[in-house]
Amino acid sequence: MMGKMDAQTFAGLIARTGDKAYNFAYRLAGNEPDARDLVQEAFAKALEHAASYDSTRPFDSWLLRILNNVFLDSMRRHSHTRTVSLDAPAPVEDSSWGELLPSGDLSASDELLKAESLDLLQKALSRLPVTYRSAIALCDIEGLSYEDIALVMEIPVGTVRSRIHQGRVLLRKAYEELEMTGGRTS
Amino acid sequence: MKHHIDGPMMTAFLDGALSPSDRDRCDGHLVSCAACRRELDALRHLKLVVSTAPRKTMPADLVLALERRLVSPMPRWRIPAPRLWIPLGATAAAALSIGLWLQGLRASEEIPLEPLLTAHARYSAEGLIPQENLVASTYSDQLTSLDAESSDVELQ
Repeated sequence: MMGKMDAQTFAGLIARTGDKAYNFAYRLAGNEPDARDLVQEAFAKALEHAASYDSTRPFDSWLLRILNNVFLDSMRRHSHTRTVSLDAPAPVEDSSWGELLPSGDLSASDELLKAESLDLLQKALSRLPVTYRSAIALCDIEGLSYEDIALVMEIPVGTVRSRIHQGRVLLRKAYEELEMTGGRTS
Repeated sequence: MKHHIDGPMMTAFLDGALSPSDRDRCDGHLVSCAACRRELDALRHLKLVVSTAPRKTMPADLVLALERRLVSPMPRWRIPAPRLWIPLGATAAAALSIGLWLQGLRASEEIPLEPLLTAHARYSAEGLIPQENLVASTYSDQLTSLDAESSDVELQ
């Protein structure tokens, strides 16, 4: 049975974490309706399991961890979604950025910088396997440290590092593919 | 550092997540390796694009939906609206008083006491009501006096 909170606590919670949670949810889900569902579910679960919150750790990280887990669960349930499945093949651990980015080729990055459509970037992000998407969103969008990302994703810091690297490699590839197809998803 | 900086280390270098010793080694290698500098620039560009994407803010209607779902309703005793409920209470009390008064009027009009007393006196005089059922009271005394008066009238 889910408990409830008083209005003042709720207002403080939303002021502190609302936008951050919604932005993260939007980057994970790639669309507004799913982001809304994720946020509602995450806040409800946070309230339900409030007793398990360790107050010596940042509340934001705890909430984002719940949100990330809610997202992973929803992806497992709805395997028909457009996004890449959790079982999508990942690049080898030691893959070098240079293997995927031709040396001397900075034009693609320059074009990426100049790209007017952020929609393309969001589509590229949505193509990533969810574990890499979470790592990229937490690092580059939410600005969390590797240690905090490790807390949110419940993985070692070393794994955070490799996931962010692989996520960036895949993000670039996805973006380039979308550019070639004019933003159409395959 | 003879070899190129590997991907994860390059990523951590860019994110400022390397130990001081690893950072120094990377710095030293980057001075002499153009390929790794290009890789670092490419990573930096990508990170910049992603990190500068406009942030989404929580829609107001979503906040309301969450509030409905998560916030407990305010207890009744905390409803601070005396200016509303005092006039309402006074109006209700006045309406109740008027209603009772009207009901009283209607009752006295619909059930007159005099015919009842007369009928009772007649039934009593004719012996239709057993004596044991008559209650000794002022009321029964009145009936007795009424009977006596009616007897006097008949006698006269």
